Formats: sequence, C-alpha cells, structure tokens
Amino acid sequence: MNFDFSKEEQLIQKAAKEFADKRIAPVAGNIHRTNAMPAEIVDGLADLGMFGIPFLEKYGGGEAGYLSYILALEQLSKASAGVGMIISVNAVGLAVINVFGTEEQKLAYLPQSIDGKKIMSFAFTEPGTGSDPKQLTTTVSRDKDGYLLNGTKRFISNAGYKGPMVVVAKESDTGKATAFVIDKFCDGYSLSAPWEKIGAHGGGLYDVYFKDVKIPAENLLGQNGGGLSALKIAMIYGKIGLTGLFLGQALAAFEEGLRYANEKMHRGESIGHKFEHIKISVADMAMKYDAAKWHAYHLGWAADNYKDPLQLAKEAALSKVFVAETAIDIARISMGIHGSYGLMEDYKISQIWGDAIIGPQVEGTAPLLKIMGAGIILNG
Amino acid sequence: MNIVVAMKQIPDLQQIRIRNRCPVLDDVPLTLGKIDKNALEAGLKIRENAGNKGRVIVVSAGNRDIEETVKEALAAGADEACIVVDEAASDLESSISAILLAAAIKRIGVADIILFGEGSGDNYSGQVGARVAEILDLPQVGYAGNVETTGRTARITRVLEDREEIVEVELPVVVCILADINEPRIPSVSQILKAGKKHKEIIEIDDLTMETSGRRIETISNLAPETARKREPVNTCGALCAVLEKEGFWAR
Amino acid sequence: MAGILIYSDQDPLSFELLTAARYIAENTGAAVKAVSINNHAQAEALAGRGAESYRIDGKEIILEDTAAVARALKGAVETLDTDVVLLSANRRGKELAGRLAQMLDAGCLSDVNALAVRSGRIECTRNALGGATVAVQTVTSKRKVIALSAKVFAAAPDGVGHISDLTLDVKGSGIKLMESRAKAEEAAHIETAAVLVVVGQGLENRKDLAIVKRIADSLKGEVACSKPVATDKKWLAEDRIIGLSGKICKPDLAILLGVSGQVQFMVGIRDAKTIVAINRDENACIMQNADYIMTADLQDVLPELSRALTGTVPS
Repeated sequence: MNFDFSKEEQLIQKAAKEFADKRIAPVAGNIHRTNAMPAEIVDGLADLGMFGIPFLEKYGGGEAGYLSYILALEQLSKASAGVGMIISVNAVGLAVINVFGTEEQKLAYLPQSIDGKKIMSFAFTEPGTGSDPKQLTTTVSRDKDGYLLNGTKRFISNAGYKGPMVVVAKESDTGKATAFVIDKFCDGYSLSAPWEKIGAHGGGLYDVYFKDVKIPAENLLGQNGGGLSALKIAMIYGKIGLTGLFLGQALAAFEEGLRYANEKMHRGESIGHKFEHIKISVADMAMKYDAAKWHAYHLGWAADNYKDPLQLAKEAALSKVFVAETAIDIARISMGIHGSYGLMEDYKISQIWGDAIIGPQVEGTAPLLKIMGAGIILNG
Repeated sequence: MNIVVAMKQIPDLQQIRIRNRCPVLDDVPLTLGKIDKNALEAGLKIRENAGNKGRVIVVSAGNRDIEETVKEALAAGADEACIVVDEAASDLESSISAILLAAAIKRIGVADIILFGEGSGDNYSGQVGARVAEILDLPQVGYAGNVETTGRTARITRVLEDREEIVEVELPVVVCILADINEPRIPSVSQILKAGKKHKEIIEIDDLTMETSGRRIETISNLAPETARKREPVNTCGALCAVLEKEGFWAR
Repeated sequence: MAGILIYSDQDPLSFELLTAARYIAENTGAAVKAVSINNHAQAEALAGRGAESYRIDGKEIILEDTAAVARALKGAVETLDTDVVLLSANRRGKELAGRLAQMLDAGCLSDVNALAVRSGRIECTRNALGGATVAVQTVTSKRKVIALSAKVFAAAPDGVGHISDLTLDVKGSGIKLMESRAKAEEAAHIETAAVLVVVGQGLENRKDLAIVKRIADSLKGEVACSKPVATDKKWLAEDRIIGLSGKICKPDLAILLGVSGQVQFMVGIRDAKTIVAINRDENACIMQNADYIMTADLQDVLPELSRALTGTVPS
C-alpha cells in the first residue's frame, strides 16, 4: 500500500489551501454572518479550476481525479463550508450529465460549469419526499415540441446562480420519474428566499417553483423513466463531495482545538501541556481526524479506480456518514477544549459546530445512507 | 528574451518541528523559497510587459527531489526548468549552490535577465545571486522593487533602507528581487497537471567538470532559541510606568 | 593571521565594524585596516577613531555598482594583506558580501548578530530556518567575509589614527545611476534606536498612531511596526518593519502594542533586553515572550499611558 500523494495532488491541495487562507478565510466570518457568498470568491475558484478537478480535459476539466477533488474540497471547506457546498453540488449536476448526457448535451453543458462560469443545481427533493421517486409531485406533461414542467422542489443548492439544473420529475402520462436539464431563471422559474440554515452559510439553499416551464425534447437526460438512475449517480458523486466538505469541518475543528490547547494559558503554562483531560482530548481529535481522513482519501481513490459501481455507491454512502459523524465528534471535543469561550460567536469553533452538525442530515440522512450501504453489503 | 529565475528547494518552514531545541526536518515536505516565488512572479510580469515574448526558465540545484519540487514553479507559469541534481546535496552552502546554478545557466546558453530572491527562505543569506553574477561576470542589482526592460536595457529600482535609486544597465544582468513586492499567482488545477509535461533539463552533478573546492562554512550548532522572559503581569499604566522607571527607561 | 579589513558605506556602521575588528584582532593579533570609497570625510572620521584608514578614489567605483565596489575591496584585500573582511549587514553591505566573497574564493556569513572568537575561530551567530533556529557558524576558508548587523558592537571611541591613499585601477560593470531619492518619509533608523514602541495589527485606529508617537518620544524612542501595518495597512513606512524581512533590532527596551508575536516577527526583536507586551488577547504568543505583560485594550491603555508618561494626550 502506498499512502503518498503525487506531486500534482500535493500541489492541488496546496493551491486550494493557499486560496482558502488568502482569499476565503479573511471573509469567512462575513460569509457566515450574511449567509451570502461574495462573487469574487466564486470567480477566484473558477479561475483556479476548482469546479472542474475530476472532469475530462476535453470538456475543460483538470482530469486530476476524485482524490485531488477531495483534497481540494477539504481545504476549501475548512475555510468555508458554503464554498464546499457550491462546488460539490455543481459537481453532482456535472456527474449526472457526464453519465447520462449525449455528446451534444455534454458539449452544451459541461464546459461552462466545469469552468465555474455557470453553476449547476440538482433538483430531486420536494416538500413531500426526500428520495422516493414514487412520491414526486413535480410533473412534466408532453407539450407540442417537448415538455411542460410544473411543481415545487425543496432545499435546492445553487438555485440562485445562473446555469443548468438537472430536474427529476414525474411524467404525467406514464407516472415514470425522468431527468431533464433546464436553464435556471428561464420563463416560469422562480425562487423562495434562501433558507436560513444552521451551517454551511453562503451555500445558498432555496425552494424552486416551476410554472409551465418549457423543456425542449432534446433536454431529456437519459431514458424516459431514468430519473431513479440519475438520482443514484447524484447520490454517489454528491456523497464524494460532501465527504470532502465534512472532512474539512473535521480538520477545522481539530486545528482550532489544537491551537486553543497550545495558546490558552493557565498560570504560565498552556492548557494542552498542563491538563491531562486536554491531552486526552487532543489525542481523541487526532485519532478521529486520521480515521476520517483515510476514509475520505480512500473514497477519492476508489472513485478513480472502481470496477463495481455498487461498491463505490456503498463506500460513498458510508464514508460520508462516517466522516460527517466524526466531524461532529471532533467539533464537540474541540468545543470542550475551548471551555466557555467555545460557546461564543467570536470563536471559530462555534461556527464550525454549526457547519458540522448539519452533516449527517444533508443529501441523504445517515440512516438512509446506512440502509443503502447495508443493502449492498447484505446482497453482495 | 530569456528570463532565468533561480529557485531554491527548501523544507516547508511552516512544518518544521522543534524537538529538544533541535529542528526536525524528516518528513517535512519540500517547497520553493517564498521570496523565490516573488522572483518568479516578477519574471512572469517582465515577460508580460515585454509583449509575452521570450521564455521564463527556472534553474535550481538540489537532491533528486528537486525534479518533483520544481513542478511547483512550472505550474506557476515557468516554461521550462534546468536543474542540477546532486544526490548528496541536501544542504548546499551558498558558494557551492552558486557554482551549480552558474553551470545550469551556462547550459541554457542565452540568459538576458537572471532573477533571484533577495534571500532564500531558510538561510536568508542572500549571497548566491551576487556570487553567480561574479562567476558569470555580469553586473548585479540587489533589493530590486521594480524591473522594466526596453530593448536591451533594464531599468531597475533598488530599494535601500532609506532611499530608492533607479539604475539602468545593459542586459544581461543579475537582479535580486525584494521580498513581497508582488503576490505570486496560485497555480490553477490545469496548470498543475500540465507542469509535469513541460521541458525539464536535468544535469547530473557528475556530468559537470567544474571544481566546487569543498565547504567554506562549518555549522557549530543550530538550535531553537531559548526564551527566558520574565512574563510578569502588569495591571495598570501606573505600574507600567513604575517598571519603566525602575529599569531606567523613564524618569518622572 | 593576516589583517582585517572593514568597510561600510554608512559611517556609524563602519565605527561599529572598527570595534568588532579590534575585538577579533585582540584575540588573533591581526592588524585592522579601514577603507572608505570616494568618501574622504568617512576616512577622516575613521582615523579620528584611531583607525588605519585608507582612501580609495575612483570615478567608476560608484556605490550603485556593487561589482565595482567589490572589485575595489578585492584590490584592497590583496594590497593590504587582509584575510578577514567585515562589512555592515545593511542592504548595500549584504549585496556586496556575496560578490566579494566569490571574488576572494571566501566563505561568507551575513546578518551576523553576535560574534565571538573562541579557540582562534570567529564564531558567528545568525538566524536559520526562517528564524526557527539560531545557528552558530564559522567560516573555514582562509579568506572570510562577514556582514555584521547593526549594534552588535558599540561604535569605536575617539583615538588617533592616520590616513593613507590606496590607488587602485577599478573598472565599473556598466551600472548607470539615473535617479536617487530619499524615501517619502524621513528615514527611520529603528535598528539603532535604544527604545522601540512597536505597533501590531491589534492597533485598530490609525489616529492612535499620534499617541504612540508621543509615548515613543517620551522614552526617546522610535516607532516601529510589524509587517502588515506597513505593507497591508500602509500606516507606517516600510523602513519601520521589524522581522525577518524587515529589520533585526536589539533595543534596550521594546514596547509591543497589539503585536501577536509570530516567529517571523520575533526574529527581529528577540534580542531586545527588555520586552513589554500590551495585548487584548491574553493567549497571544507574545505574552510568552515578554518580560512585562499587560492584558488590556489598546484604546483604553494608550491615552492613559500617554498621560502617565507625559501628562498629556495628543488630540
């Protein structure tokens, strides 16, 4: 086994860290307070190719693989979970089109979102369902040249950015769930105010309303009835992104805790050097971060090297759960090291706590993902 | 126009650990000096201002790792690299680095502007640029805050402690760039992936016939400084004044 | 040992080099020789401090042409039979050091901030690994070039020396001086000040600099700063920066106001005799590295301290 990264992987990680330190970290507090992402951050990420790391060079991607993608997401998300959310969700849309799109669709949609000039969304969840295609109420009905889309989608990331959106809707005549790609802000597209969520601020989350949105026939993604397959792909690649994102929260919590343990003084000695329970907390954080890190990095490697897609689906689901839950553990320990100060908004750990706590419940709750993973394990 | 940028492979200073006052360099990733990155950025800007004509070539000398380390410079915009690999060289002293770098520059052939950082990130001795200028018998300008070229003339601002002077000199010239005069660009993902494909000329030390006549510096000790400050709390300005008075810095 | 040659473009630094050279000479028996280039006043001043002072004149030896100055010094080394060359570690001196060392096939140490002769070796102390460590090194080649930081030695006292002319034929390297101007603000010499009042990023209001200046004046000190205060905020000139890429200072007293104390900064101040740190954050690194520590808000402390020291607060 070789745990070394290639020079290219190291440099991508370093570029992400440098951008995070120099450009994101100074405004992270403001992103958190306003729940808004400055356009310069998105533009800067785009210039560095951070939206296209794993995608093919012929569509403008870095073709650097999913391990590089996770390494970069970890560093970027450490500074702002909202940044991780924007990139991860964009990559979900890209992955679905990459798998199901025709060459014409790929050429039409991939390059601009790989460049980060247009940011993708993926819309499945509705007020009445999280991931059950049978309960979808958003419908498409046949129109003369294509389809008409009507309904409401809930908790849709990146819905406030211009760009393509992959929508899964129920065909009104056949009852089948089918995926389409539409342009956000087309006629009939409207948005709620952004949700005020506990964490990942700056990664805008909206409800989206469709009223007689015209979809040309050529915007059908994959087969009629292929909506569930699209969801499965979205689940796999979404989990890879979120694993990187929540690994970033684990790292942020670990670093903040370690720093505080080293810097907070008690009668002339740092609490980390003085108190046994702080030492144990430091060990716990390190142990848990390492476990989460290797889970995540292996997932990145697996996404670049898998043979059986079901095995990748299992690993993506379970790694995301493990890393997200571990990020909360570390944040809790780190907060404990901070004592009363950890409860204050002035201290970064309080913000990291909010970013970490959302982990097990976004894009597939922990129980759902465990049940999915268990199904693959039990059925082989 | 060929712009040569000399860069030094150094341990990532942020990651050096101190154990029993001794620096531990094992497992510390290698990188290129911070001021060297300012020099590279300056080189890229000089080329841009010259209508993007010419090449930016990185030269470096170090152990085998340098072949990988130099990718960082190629990713950041250098066109090619010319490196001297000396397996034994983990800690080259300035006089030897200068000889190796001069050999690499001669191998490149045409070098119109040769850029260094004002000092390396680790040792910050600031000699190598001047030594290379002497070996190559070229004029030198240190602490450069700005470099412009018009035809075969360079106009360089040298920033001293209390003055700035503008000098002009015919190319070729060795210029040592002031720290932090620019913000080195962060390489993009695709530039990083392309770095490995750029041309790298690798010179094995054994293929060079020049003399390096051994070390000229001996290090007797290298330890983290001990801090033995009193750390006495002072609670009021009155108390602080009393301290300043007692120590003889102020009289009522 | 053959002789020791000293040279600095700056008079005060050359006087310190004279003391340093005499200290080495005491321990080795070498003769000390000072050179001045196109600067008769400096040659006289050095002679006035007891130096064997040599004047080198030459049209092409302009200070801006480092190679030409190095050539002149090489000529002096050869003519005056000196093996050790002491230079000042200001920018001119450091730029010169490498060039001269290469010409002389000598080892060279720059930014030397302590120097001692032990068992016949000149042991030089300088920062290494970006300031994380302090190295003691010695030059092993026969000829040695050492660039010494300011204030390592005191200026040589008055004495009676003599002046001679040294005639050398030195060619320039083609550097033409087009323009030379003093930096906008009056030049600060923080490296030679006995007292420094140092501003860090913890100072929130630019107008409080007036109070800081008043405090510095009351202690006959200079105002200095950490790097971001000059380069990012641009509140003070860059010649007031303390640290690895600023100036290395050894004042008797340093009062650090809102300075966090990162290693790159500490390198520039850790040799101060007494350090007072005032910071709002009791956990700031600097609080571990100061003699007197005060945890307080600068906005409250500055007017109060100004009043306590001077009786007034500038408006």
